[in-house]
Amino acid sequence: MSTEPALMTLTAVARAITDKELSSHEVTRSCLHRIAQWQPHLNAFMAIEAEAALKAADEADAALAKGNKKGVLHGVPLAHKDMYYDAGKVVTCGSLIRRDFVPTTTSTALQRLKDAGSIRLGSLQMAEFAYGPTGHNAHFGAVHNPWSLPNITGGSSSGSGSGVAARLTFAALGSDTGGSIRMPAHFCGVTGLKVTYGRVSRAGAMPLSQSLDTVGPLAQTAEDCALLLQLMAGPDPEDPTASSVAVPNYMAAAAASIKGLKIGVPTSYYVDDLDPEVARILDETVAVLKREGADIIKVELPDQRQLSSASQLVLAVEAAAFHKRWLIERPQDYGPQVLMRLQNGLAIPGVTYLEAMRWRGAALAAHVAATSGVDAVIAPVSPVPAPTIAESDIGNTPGAEAVIQRLTRFTRPVNYLGLPSLAIPSGFTKSGLPVAMQLIGRSFDEATLLTIGGGFQRATDFHARVPSLP
Amino acid sequence: MSKPNPKEIKAVADVAGIPVDAEVAERVSNSIGPAFEGFAAIAGTLPFDLEPATYLLMQTAKVAK
Repeated sequence: MSTEPALMTLTAVARAITDKELSSHEVTRSCLHRIAQWQPHLNAFMAIEAEAALKAADEADAALAKGNKKGVLHGVPLAHKDMYYDAGKVVTCGSLIRRDFVPTTTSTALQRLKDAGSIRLGSLQMAEFAYGPTGHNAHFGAVHNPWSLPNITGGSSSGSGSGVAARLTFAALGSDTGGSIRMPAHFCGVTGLKVTYGRVSRAGAMPLSQSLDTVGPLAQTAEDCALLLQLMAGPDPEDPTASSVAVPNYMAAAAASIKGLKIGVPTSYYVDDLDPEVARILDETVAVLKREGADIIKVELPDQRQLSSASQLVLAVEAAAFHKRWLIERPQDYGPQVLMRLQNGLAIPGVTYLEAMRWRGAALAAHVAATSGVDAVIAPVSPVPAPTIAESDIGNTPGAEAVIQRLTRFTRPVNYLGLPSLAIPSGFTKSGLPVAMQLIGRSFDEATLLTIGGGFQRATDFHARVPSLP
Repeated sequence: MSKPNPKEIKAVADVAGIPVDAEVAERVSNSIGPAFEGFAAIAGTLPFDLEPATYLLMQTAKVAK
Protein backbone atom coordinates (compact mmCIF):
# COMPACT_ATOMS: atom_id res chain seq x y z
CA MET A 1 0.00 0.00 0.00
CA SER A 2 1.28 3.45 -0.88
CA THR A 3 2.45 5.49 2.08
CA GLU A 4 0.32 8.38 0.81
CA PRO A 5 -3.21 7.25 -0.09
CA ALA A 6 -3.91 10.46 -2.05
CA LEU A 7 -1.38 9.31 -4.66
CA MET A 8 -3.40 6.22 -5.55
CA THR A 9 -5.64 6.03 -8.57
CA LEU A 10 -9.38 6.35 -8.14
CA THR A 11 -9.93 2.71 -9.01
CA ALA A 12 -7.26 1.51 -6.58
CA VAL A 13 -8.37 3.66 -3.65
CA ALA A 14 -12.02 2.72 -4.13
CA ARG A 15 -11.03 -0.94 -3.98
CA ALA A 16 -8.80 -0.38 -0.95
CA ILE A 17 -11.63 1.25 1.01
CA THR A 18 -14.09 -1.47 0.06
CA ASP A 19 -11.56 -4.15 1.08
CA LYS A 20 -10.93 -2.26 4.34
CA GLU A 21 -7.23 -1.94 3.58
CA LEU A 22 -7.72 1.80 4.08
CA SER A 23 -10.45 3.72 5.83
CA SER A 24 -12.28 6.58 4.19
CA HIS A 25 -11.01 8.70 7.08
CA GLU A 26 -7.37 7.89 6.28
CA VAL A 27 -7.90 8.57 2.60
CA THR A 28 -9.77 11.82 3.19
CA ARG A 29 -7.16 13.04 5.66
CA SER A 30 -4.44 12.28 3.11
CA CYS A 31 -6.23 14.39 0.46
CA LEU A 32 -6.81 17.22 2.94
CA HIS A 33 -3.12 17.15 3.89
CA ARG A 34 -2.10 17.58 0.26
CA ILE A 35 -4.74 20.25 -0.27
CA ALA A 36 -3.34 22.22 2.68
CA GLN A 37 0.15 21.94 1.19
CA TRP A 38 -0.74 22.78 -2.41
CA GLN A 39 -3.72 25.15 -2.31
CA PRO A 40 -1.65 28.25 -1.46
CA HIS A 41 0.42 27.58 -4.61
CA LEU A 42 -2.33 26.48 -6.99
CA ASN A 43 -5.62 28.19 -6.09
CA ALA A 44 -7.27 25.02 -7.39
CA PHE A 45 -10.12 24.89 -4.85
CA MET A 46 -13.03 27.29 -4.68
CA ALA A 47 -14.12 25.87 -1.31
CA ILE A 48 -12.45 23.38 1.03
CA GLU A 49 -14.82 21.60 3.38
CA ALA A 50 -12.40 19.69 5.60
CA GLU A 51 -14.60 19.21 8.64
CA ALA A 52 -17.64 18.08 6.67
CA ALA A 53 -15.51 15.76 4.55
CA LEU A 54 -14.01 14.03 7.58
CA LYS A 55 -17.46 13.68 9.16
CA ALA A 56 -18.79 12.11 5.95
CA ALA A 57 -15.74 9.83 5.83
CA ASP A 58 -16.37 8.65 9.39
CA GLU A 59 -19.99 7.95 8.51
CA ALA A 60 -18.87 6.00 5.44
CA ASP A 61 -16.47 3.95 7.56
CA ALA A 62 -19.18 3.23 10.13
CA ALA A 63 -21.61 2.15 7.42
CA LEU A 64 -19.04 -0.15 5.84
CA ALA A 65 -18.26 -1.70 9.23
CA LYS A 66 -21.95 -2.62 9.45
CA GLY A 67 -21.84 -4.15 5.98
CA ASN A 68 -23.65 -1.27 4.31
CA LYS A 69 -21.65 -0.47 1.21
CA LYS A 70 -23.28 2.29 -0.82
CA GLY A 71 -21.54 1.63 -4.14
CA VAL A 72 -18.21 1.32 -5.92
CA LEU A 73 -17.09 4.76 -4.75
CA HIS A 74 -18.00 4.13 -1.12
CA GLY A 75 -16.11 6.64 1.04
CA VAL A 76 -14.01 8.06 -1.81
CA PRO A 77 -13.51 11.82 -1.39
CA LEU A 78 -13.89 13.87 -4.57
CA ALA A 79 -14.16 17.51 -5.60
CA HIS A 80 -15.69 18.83 -8.81
CA LYS A 81 -15.80 21.91 -11.00
CA ASP A 82 -17.92 24.50 -9.20
CA MET A 83 -20.77 24.39 -11.71
CA TYR A 84 -22.52 21.18 -10.69
CA TYR A 85 -25.61 21.96 -8.67
CA ASP A 86 -25.43 20.35 -5.26
CA ALA A 87 -28.59 21.08 -3.28
CA GLY A 88 -27.90 23.39 -0.35
CA LYS A 89 -24.29 24.16 -1.37
CA VAL A 90 -23.05 27.40 -2.90
CA VAL A 91 -22.26 26.90 -6.59
CA THR A 92 -20.45 29.98 -7.89
CA CYS A 93 -19.91 28.96 -11.53
CA GLY A 94 -16.65 30.89 -11.12
CA SER A 95 -18.59 34.14 -11.17
CA LEU A 96 -19.50 37.16 -9.11
CA ILE A 97 -23.06 36.94 -10.36
CA ARG A 98 -23.56 33.50 -8.81
CA ARG A 99 -21.21 33.96 -5.89
CA ASP A 100 -24.03 33.25 -3.42
CA PHE A 101 -26.17 30.96 -5.57
CA VAL A 102 -27.52 27.97 -3.64
CA PRO A 103 -29.36 25.46 -5.84
CA THR A 104 -32.26 23.40 -4.53
CA THR A 105 -31.50 20.42 -6.76
CA THR A 106 -28.45 18.26 -7.42
CA SER A 107 -27.10 17.62 -10.90
CA THR A 108 -27.77 14.15 -12.24
CA ALA A 109 -24.11 13.39 -12.91
CA LEU A 110 -23.09 14.43 -9.41
CA GLN A 111 -26.01 12.58 -7.82
CA ARG A 112 -24.99 9.38 -9.58
CA LEU A 113 -21.48 9.68 -8.13
CA LYS A 114 -22.96 10.37 -4.71
CA ASP A 115 -25.27 7.37 -5.05
CA ALA A 116 -22.14 5.29 -5.67
CA GLY A 117 -20.82 6.44 -2.30
CA SER A 118 -18.47 9.34 -3.06
CA ILE A 119 -18.12 12.11 -0.50
CA ARG A 120 -17.46 15.82 -1.00
CA LEU A 121 -14.08 17.48 -0.36
CA GLY A 122 -15.23 20.90 -1.54
CA SER A 123 -15.48 22.54 -4.95
CA LEU A 124 -12.95 23.37 -7.64
CA GLN A 125 -12.10 26.63 -9.38
CA MET A 126 -13.07 27.26 -12.98
CA ALA A 127 -13.17 29.94 -15.63
CA GLU A 128 -16.04 32.38 -15.13
CA PHE A 129 -19.18 30.65 -16.42
CA ALA A 130 -16.89 28.06 -18.08
CA TYR A 131 -16.15 30.57 -20.82
CA GLY A 132 -12.36 30.65 -21.09
CA PRO A 133 -9.65 28.22 -22.21
CA THR A 134 -6.68 29.39 -20.15
CA GLY A 135 -7.51 29.11 -16.43
CA HIS A 136 -7.61 32.84 -15.72
CA ASN A 137 -10.48 34.11 -13.60
CA ALA A 138 -11.00 37.86 -13.19
CA HIS A 139 -12.80 37.40 -9.87
CA PHE A 140 -11.06 34.52 -8.11
CA GLY A 141 -7.58 34.65 -9.64
CA ALA A 142 -5.77 32.35 -12.01
CA VAL A 143 -5.30 28.68 -11.18
CA HIS A 144 -1.67 27.56 -11.37
CA ASN A 145 -0.17 24.56 -13.09
CA PRO A 146 1.38 22.16 -10.56
CA TRP A 147 4.14 21.27 -13.02
CA SER A 148 5.22 24.92 -13.30
CA LEU A 149 3.44 27.52 -11.22
CA PRO A 150 3.95 30.43 -13.66
CA ASN A 151 2.14 28.47 -16.39
CA ILE A 152 -1.56 28.12 -17.13
CA THR A 153 -3.68 25.09 -16.34
CA GLY A 154 -5.96 25.49 -19.30
CA GLY A 155 -9.66 25.95 -18.87
CA SER A 156 -12.34 26.13 -18.29
CA SER A 157 -12.03 23.16 -15.91
CA SER A 158 -8.90 24.74 -14.45
CA GLY A 159 -9.25 23.55 -10.85
CA SER A 160 -10.16 20.07 -12.03
CA GLY A 161 -6.96 19.77 -14.08
CA SER A 162 -4.73 21.32 -11.45
CA GLY A 163 -6.31 19.42 -8.55
CA VAL A 164 -6.11 16.00 -10.18
CA ALA A 165 -2.54 16.60 -11.37
CA ALA A 166 -1.40 17.55 -7.85
CA ARG A 167 -3.29 14.55 -6.43
CA LEU A 168 -5.62 16.68 -4.31
CA THR A 169 -8.66 14.77 -5.56
CA PHE A 170 -8.70 11.35 -7.21
CA ALA A 171 -10.85 12.65 -10.03
CA ALA A 172 -13.06 15.61 -10.84
CA LEU A 173 -15.96 16.42 -13.05
CA GLY A 174 -15.24 18.97 -15.71
CA SER A 175 -17.30 20.16 -18.65
CA ASP A 176 -16.32 20.44 -22.29
CA THR A 177 -18.03 22.86 -24.68
CA GLY A 178 -15.02 23.89 -26.75
CA GLY A 179 -12.21 21.91 -25.11
CA SER A 180 -12.66 22.63 -21.41
CA ILE A 181 -11.84 19.11 -20.24
CA ARG A 182 -9.16 18.28 -22.79
CA MET A 183 -7.26 21.57 -22.46
CA PRO A 184 -6.62 21.21 -18.70
CA ALA A 185 -5.86 17.53 -19.22
CA HIS A 186 -3.25 18.51 -21.81
CA PHE A 187 -1.66 21.37 -19.89
CA CYS A 188 -1.73 19.59 -16.49
CA GLY A 189 -0.84 16.04 -17.53
CA VAL A 190 -4.01 14.17 -16.56
CA THR A 191 -6.50 12.02 -18.43
CA GLY A 192 -9.68 13.78 -19.54
CA LEU A 193 -12.73 12.36 -21.28
CA LYS A 194 -14.99 14.54 -23.40
CA VAL A 195 -18.01 12.32 -23.99
CA THR A 196 -20.33 12.09 -26.96
CA TYR A 197 -22.97 14.82 -26.89
CA GLY A 198 -25.89 13.20 -25.03
CA ARG A 199 -23.91 10.41 -23.36
CA VAL A 200 -24.11 11.98 -19.87
CA SER A 201 -27.02 14.02 -18.57
CA ARG A 202 -26.50 17.78 -18.41
CA ALA A 203 -29.33 18.28 -15.93
CA GLY A 204 -28.16 20.46 -13.07
CA ALA A 205 -24.91 21.38 -14.77
CA MET A 206 -24.52 25.11 -15.45
CA PRO A 207 -25.31 25.65 -19.13
CA LEU A 208 -23.06 27.49 -21.55
CA SER A 209 -24.20 26.17 -24.93
CA GLN A 210 -27.01 23.62 -24.94
CA SER A 211 -25.95 22.15 -28.28
CA LEU A 212 -22.28 21.70 -27.38
CA ASP A 213 -22.04 21.20 -23.58
CA THR A 214 -20.85 17.84 -22.32
CA VAL A 215 -20.18 16.53 -18.81
CA GLY A 216 -17.13 14.36 -18.24
CA PRO A 217 -14.32 13.35 -15.90
CA LEU A 218 -10.67 14.24 -15.42
CA ALA A 219 -8.66 11.59 -13.57
CA GLN A 220 -5.26 9.95 -13.45
CA THR A 221 -6.03 7.12 -15.85
CA ALA A 222 -8.31 5.93 -18.61
CA GLU A 223 -9.46 3.20 -16.23
CA ASP A 224 -10.54 5.86 -13.71
CA CYS A 225 -12.44 7.73 -16.41
CA ALA A 226 -14.10 4.47 -17.40
CA LEU A 227 -15.25 3.90 -13.83
CA LEU A 228 -16.83 7.36 -13.60
CA LEU A 229 -18.42 7.18 -17.04
CA GLN A 230 -19.90 3.80 -16.15
CA LEU A 231 -21.68 5.44 -13.23
CA MET A 232 -22.84 8.58 -15.04
CA ALA A 233 -23.79 7.47 -18.57
CA GLY A 234 -27.34 6.81 -19.67
CA PRO A 235 -30.72 8.42 -20.06
CA ASP A 236 -32.19 10.86 -17.57
CA PRO A 237 -35.80 12.05 -17.37
CA GLU A 238 -34.45 15.46 -16.32
CA ASP A 239 -32.49 15.90 -19.57
CA PRO A 240 -34.28 15.09 -22.84
CA THR A 241 -30.97 15.22 -24.71
CA ALA A 242 -29.47 12.43 -22.57
CA SER A 243 -29.38 9.48 -24.93
CA SER A 244 -30.83 6.02 -24.36
CA VAL A 245 -28.15 4.41 -26.51
CA ALA A 246 -26.96 1.30 -24.64
CA VAL A 247 -24.17 1.81 -22.11
CA PRO A 248 -21.38 -0.74 -22.66
CA ASN A 249 -18.93 -2.10 -20.07
CA TYR A 250 -16.34 0.71 -20.05
CA MET A 251 -14.17 -0.90 -17.38
CA ALA A 252 -13.78 -4.01 -19.52
CA ALA A 253 -13.00 -1.79 -22.50
CA ALA A 254 -10.24 0.03 -20.62
CA ALA A 255 -8.59 -3.31 -19.86
CA ALA A 256 -8.81 -4.68 -23.40
CA SER A 257 -5.95 -4.99 -25.89
CA ILE A 258 -5.42 -2.41 -28.59
CA LYS A 259 -3.97 -5.02 -30.94
CA GLY A 260 -5.53 -4.71 -34.37
CA LEU A 261 -7.30 -1.43 -33.75
CA LYS A 262 -6.93 1.07 -36.56
CA ILE A 263 -5.84 4.57 -35.57
CA GLY A 264 -5.94 7.41 -38.05
CA VAL A 265 -3.34 10.16 -38.20
CA PRO A 266 -4.63 13.30 -39.95
CA THR A 267 -2.67 14.50 -42.94
CA SER A 268 -3.44 18.17 -42.30
CA TYR A 269 -4.82 20.77 -39.85
CA TYR A 270 -3.96 18.82 -36.67
CA VAL A 271 -0.36 18.46 -37.80
CA ASP A 272 0.04 22.01 -39.08
CA ASP A 273 1.96 24.73 -37.21
CA LEU A 274 2.75 22.52 -34.22
CA ASP A 275 5.25 23.48 -31.57
CA PRO A 276 8.26 21.22 -32.31
CA GLU A 277 7.95 19.43 -28.98
CA VAL A 278 4.25 18.75 -29.51
CA ALA A 279 5.11 17.38 -32.96
CA ARG A 280 7.81 15.16 -31.45
CA ILE A 281 5.44 13.81 -28.80
CA LEU A 282 2.75 13.12 -31.41
CA ASP A 283 5.26 11.03 -33.37
CA GLU A 284 6.40 9.21 -30.21
CA THR A 285 2.81 8.48 -29.19
CA VAL A 286 1.99 7.04 -32.57
CA ALA A 287 5.13 4.90 -32.34
CA VAL A 288 4.05 3.49 -28.97
CA LEU A 289 0.57 2.68 -30.26
CA LYS A 290 2.10 0.94 -33.27
CA ARG A 291 4.43 -1.04 -31.02
CA GLU A 292 1.45 -2.11 -28.93
CA GLY A 293 -0.24 -3.56 -31.97
CA ALA A 294 -2.39 -0.79 -33.43
CA ASP A 295 -2.50 -0.23 -37.17
CA ILE A 296 -1.61 3.35 -38.03
CA ILE A 297 -3.36 4.79 -41.08
CA LYS A 298 -3.21 8.25 -42.62
CA VAL A 299 -6.63 9.92 -42.85
CA GLU A 300 -7.79 12.95 -44.82
CA LEU A 301 -10.42 14.75 -42.80
CA PRO A 302 -12.95 17.26 -44.13
CA ASP A 303 -12.13 20.97 -43.69
CA GLN A 304 -11.72 21.33 -39.93
CA ARG A 305 -11.61 25.13 -40.09
CA GLN A 306 -15.22 25.15 -41.22
CA LEU A 307 -16.17 22.95 -38.28
CA SER A 308 -14.31 25.20 -35.87
CA SER A 309 -16.04 28.27 -37.30
CA ALA A 310 -19.47 26.66 -37.04
CA SER A 311 -18.68 25.71 -33.46
CA GLN A 312 -17.81 29.32 -32.61
CA LEU A 313 -21.01 30.65 -34.17
CA VAL A 314 -23.19 28.19 -32.23
CA LEU A 315 -21.38 28.72 -28.94
CA ALA A 316 -21.38 32.52 -29.17
CA VAL A 317 -25.12 32.77 -29.83
CA GLU A 318 -26.23 30.18 -27.29
CA ALA A 319 -24.01 31.64 -24.56
CA ALA A 320 -25.27 35.16 -25.24
CA ALA A 321 -28.87 33.93 -25.08
CA PHE A 322 -28.34 32.22 -21.71
CA HIS A 323 -26.73 35.37 -20.33
CA LYS A 324 -28.98 37.99 -21.90
CA ARG A 325 -30.80 38.92 -18.70
CA TRP A 326 -27.56 39.44 -16.80
CA LEU A 327 -26.02 41.27 -19.78
CA ILE A 328 -28.86 43.76 -19.41
CA GLU A 329 -29.01 43.91 -15.62
CA ARG A 330 -25.46 43.23 -14.41
CA PRO A 331 -22.88 43.77 -17.17
CA GLN A 332 -20.48 45.30 -14.66
CA ASP A 333 -20.31 42.01 -12.76
CA TYR A 334 -18.67 40.08 -15.60
CA GLY A 335 -14.92 39.87 -16.06
CA PRO A 336 -13.75 41.81 -19.16
CA GLN A 337 -12.99 38.78 -21.32
CA VAL A 338 -16.22 36.94 -20.59
CA LEU A 339 -18.25 40.09 -21.21
CA MET A 340 -16.44 40.59 -24.51
CA ARG A 341 -17.13 37.04 -25.64
CA LEU A 342 -20.78 37.21 -24.64
CA GLN A 343 -21.14 40.45 -26.60
CA ASN A 344 -19.77 38.61 -29.65
CA GLY A 345 -22.90 36.47 -29.68
CA LEU A 346 -25.16 39.49 -30.07
CA ALA A 347 -23.75 40.20 -33.52
CA ILE A 348 -24.45 36.86 -35.17
CA PRO A 349 -27.70 36.82 -37.19
CA GLY A 350 -30.30 34.19 -36.39
CA VAL A 351 -30.12 32.75 -39.89
CA THR A 352 -26.35 32.27 -39.61
CA TYR A 353 -26.76 30.49 -36.28
CA LEU A 354 -29.41 28.18 -37.72
CA GLU A 355 -27.32 27.45 -40.78
CA ALA A 356 -24.54 26.33 -38.44
CA MET A 357 -27.02 24.08 -36.64
CA ARG A 358 -28.55 22.74 -39.87
CA TRP A 359 -25.11 21.80 -41.25
CA ARG A 360 -24.17 19.76 -38.19
CA GLY A 361 -25.69 16.46 -39.34
CA ALA A 362 -24.18 16.74 -42.79
CA ALA A 363 -20.80 17.60 -41.31
CA LEU A 364 -20.98 14.56 -39.03
CA ALA A 365 -21.88 12.37 -42.00
CA ALA A 366 -18.85 13.67 -43.90
CA HIS A 367 -16.60 12.97 -40.93
CA VAL A 368 -17.98 9.45 -40.53
CA ALA A 369 -17.33 8.78 -44.21
CA ALA A 370 -13.78 10.14 -44.02
CA THR A 371 -12.94 8.02 -40.96
CA SER A 372 -14.79 4.84 -41.91
CA GLY A 373 -11.52 2.95 -42.18
CA VAL A 374 -10.32 3.66 -38.65
CA ASP A 375 -11.51 3.12 -35.08
CA ALA A 376 -10.22 6.46 -33.82
CA VAL A 377 -8.21 9.47 -34.90
CA ILE A 378 -5.23 10.76 -32.93
CA ALA A 379 -4.37 14.45 -32.77
CA PRO A 380 -2.75 16.94 -30.41
CA VAL A 381 -5.10 18.66 -27.96
CA SER A 382 -3.42 22.00 -28.59
CA PRO A 383 -0.58 23.09 -30.88
CA VAL A 384 1.47 24.31 -27.91
CA PRO A 385 2.42 23.31 -24.36
CA ALA A 386 1.18 25.51 -21.50
CA PRO A 387 2.01 29.20 -22.02
CA THR A 388 2.64 31.33 -18.97
CA ILE A 389 -0.17 32.97 -17.04
CA ALA A 390 1.40 36.36 -17.74
CA GLU A 391 1.70 35.97 -21.52
CA SER A 392 -1.83 34.60 -21.87
CA ASP A 393 -3.44 37.24 -19.64
CA ILE A 394 -5.14 38.77 -22.65
CA GLY A 395 -8.37 40.01 -21.05
CA ASN A 396 -10.51 41.83 -23.60
CA THR A 397 -7.67 43.15 -25.70
CA PRO A 398 -8.26 43.39 -29.48
CA GLY A 399 -6.24 40.26 -30.16
CA ALA A 400 -7.77 38.17 -27.37
CA GLU A 401 -10.19 36.19 -29.52
CA ALA A 402 -7.39 35.24 -31.91
CA VAL A 403 -5.27 33.89 -29.03
CA ILE A 404 -8.25 31.90 -27.71
CA GLN A 405 -8.97 30.44 -31.12
CA ARG A 406 -5.33 29.42 -31.62
CA LEU A 407 -5.26 27.56 -28.30
CA THR A 408 -8.55 25.76 -28.98
CA ARG A 409 -8.34 25.13 -32.72
CA PHE A 410 -7.89 21.37 -32.26
CA THR A 411 -10.70 20.91 -29.75
CA ARG A 412 -13.60 22.91 -31.23
CA PRO A 413 -14.29 20.71 -34.29
CA VAL A 414 -14.90 17.76 -31.97
CA ASN A 415 -17.50 19.69 -29.99
CA TYR A 416 -19.32 20.75 -33.14
CA LEU A 417 -19.51 17.13 -34.30
CA GLY A 418 -20.42 16.01 -30.78
CA LEU A 419 -17.85 13.22 -30.90
CA PRO A 420 -16.12 11.64 -27.90
CA SER A 421 -12.46 12.44 -27.32
CA LEU A 422 -10.05 11.10 -24.72
CA ALA A 423 -7.05 13.25 -23.80
CA ILE A 424 -4.15 11.16 -22.55
CA PRO A 425 -0.83 12.35 -21.08
CA SER A 426 1.65 11.54 -23.82
CA GLY A 427 4.95 13.10 -22.88
CA PHE A 428 6.80 16.06 -21.43
CA THR A 429 8.66 18.96 -22.96
CA LYS A 430 12.33 19.48 -22.16
CA SER A 431 11.28 22.11 -19.64
CA GLY A 432 9.01 19.62 -17.88
CA LEU A 433 5.58 20.66 -19.15
CA PRO A 434 3.11 17.87 -19.90
CA VAL A 435 1.63 17.34 -23.36
CA ALA A 436 -1.47 15.29 -24.18
CA MET A 437 -2.84 13.76 -27.35
CA GLN A 438 -6.54 13.34 -27.98
CA LEU A 439 -8.12 10.21 -29.37
CA ILE A 440 -11.25 11.15 -31.30
CA GLY A 441 -13.82 8.41 -31.71
CA ARG A 442 -17.19 7.62 -33.23
CA SER A 443 -20.43 8.80 -31.66
CA PHE A 444 -21.14 6.83 -28.46
CA ASP A 445 -17.96 4.77 -28.86
CA GLU A 446 -16.11 5.98 -25.77
CA ALA A 447 -15.27 2.31 -25.16
CA THR A 448 -12.79 2.13 -28.04
CA LEU A 449 -11.08 5.31 -26.86
CA LEU A 450 -10.76 3.87 -23.35
CA THR A 451 -9.27 0.70 -24.83
CA ILE A 452 -6.64 2.69 -26.69
CA GLY A 453 -6.00 4.98 -23.72
CA GLY A 454 -5.77 2.06 -21.32
CA GLY A 455 -3.38 0.22 -23.59
CA PHE A 456 -1.20 3.29 -24.02
CA GLN A 457 -1.07 3.84 -20.27
CA ARG A 458 -0.04 0.24 -19.61
CA ALA A 459 2.91 0.86 -21.93
CA THR A 460 3.92 4.31 -20.60
CA ASP A 461 4.17 6.14 -17.28
CA PHE A 462 3.39 9.76 -18.23
CA HIS A 463 0.00 9.56 -16.46
CA ALA A 464 1.62 8.24 -13.27
CA ARG A 465 4.16 11.03 -12.79
CA VAL A 466 3.47 13.38 -9.90
CA PRO A 467 4.62 17.00 -9.68
CA SER A 468 6.78 17.99 -6.71
CA LEU A 469 5.68 20.51 -4.13
CA PRO A 470 7.41 23.85 -4.88
CA MET B 1 -21.33 36.01 -46.41
CA SER B 2 -19.52 38.97 -44.89
CA LYS B 3 -19.03 39.69 -41.22
CA PRO B 4 -21.22 42.38 -39.66
CA ASN B 5 -19.49 45.74 -39.56
CA PRO B 6 -19.37 47.85 -36.36
CA LYS B 7 -22.32 49.99 -37.45
CA GLU B 8 -24.49 46.91 -38.01
CA ILE B 9 -23.37 45.44 -34.71
CA LYS B 10 -24.37 48.59 -32.86
CA ALA B 11 -27.80 48.44 -34.47
CA VAL B 12 -28.36 44.77 -33.74
CA ALA B 13 -27.18 45.16 -30.13
CA ASP B 14 -29.63 48.03 -29.69
CA VAL B 15 -32.46 45.84 -30.98
CA ALA B 16 -31.41 43.11 -28.55
CA GLY B 17 -31.69 45.63 -25.71
CA ILE B 18 -27.97 45.49 -24.93
CA PRO B 19 -26.46 48.64 -26.45
CA VAL B 20 -22.71 48.65 -27.08
CA ASP B 21 -20.46 51.61 -27.80
CA ALA B 22 -18.43 52.08 -30.96
CA GLU B 23 -15.27 50.63 -29.46
CA VAL B 24 -17.03 47.44 -28.38
CA ALA B 25 -18.77 47.15 -31.76
CA GLU B 26 -15.40 47.41 -33.51
CA ARG B 27 -13.91 44.75 -31.23
CA VAL B 28 -16.87 42.41 -31.72
CA SER B 29 -16.65 42.79 -35.48
CA ASN B 30 -12.97 41.85 -35.43
CA SER B 31 -13.52 38.97 -32.99
CA ILE B 32 -16.23 37.21 -34.94
CA GLY B 33 -14.78 37.97 -38.36
CA PRO B 34 -12.74 34.77 -38.64
CA ALA B 35 -15.75 32.61 -37.73
CA PHE B 36 -17.78 34.22 -40.50
CA GLU B 37 -14.94 33.77 -42.97
CA GLY B 38 -14.48 30.14 -41.96
CA PHE B 39 -18.16 29.39 -42.41
CA ALA B 40 -18.59 31.41 -45.62
CA ALA B 41 -18.24 28.39 -47.90
CA ILE B 42 -21.17 26.68 -46.17
CA ALA B 43 -23.50 29.64 -45.67
CA GLY B 44 -26.19 29.85 -48.29
CA THR B 45 -25.43 26.43 -49.77
CA LEU B 46 -27.45 24.03 -47.62
CA PRO B 47 -30.26 21.94 -49.14
CA PHE B 48 -33.77 23.28 -48.56
CA ASP B 49 -35.03 20.43 -46.37
CA LEU B 50 -32.01 20.02 -44.08
CA GLU B 51 -33.01 20.42 -40.43
CA PRO B 52 -30.90 20.66 -37.26
CA ALA B 53 -32.46 17.38 -36.04
CA THR B 54 -30.65 15.56 -38.83
CA TYR B 55 -27.68 15.65 -36.50
CA LEU B 56 -29.39 13.38 -33.96
CA LEU B 57 -30.26 10.93 -36.73
CA MET B 58 -26.62 10.84 -37.83
CA GLN B 59 -25.45 10.16 -34.27
CA THR B 60 -27.66 7.11 -33.87
CA ALA B 61 -27.33 5.97 -37.46
CA LYS B 62 -23.64 5.47 -36.83
CA VAL B 63 -24.37 3.35 -33.77
CA ALA B 64 -26.83 1.18 -35.69
CA LYS B 65 -24.22 0.59 -38.37
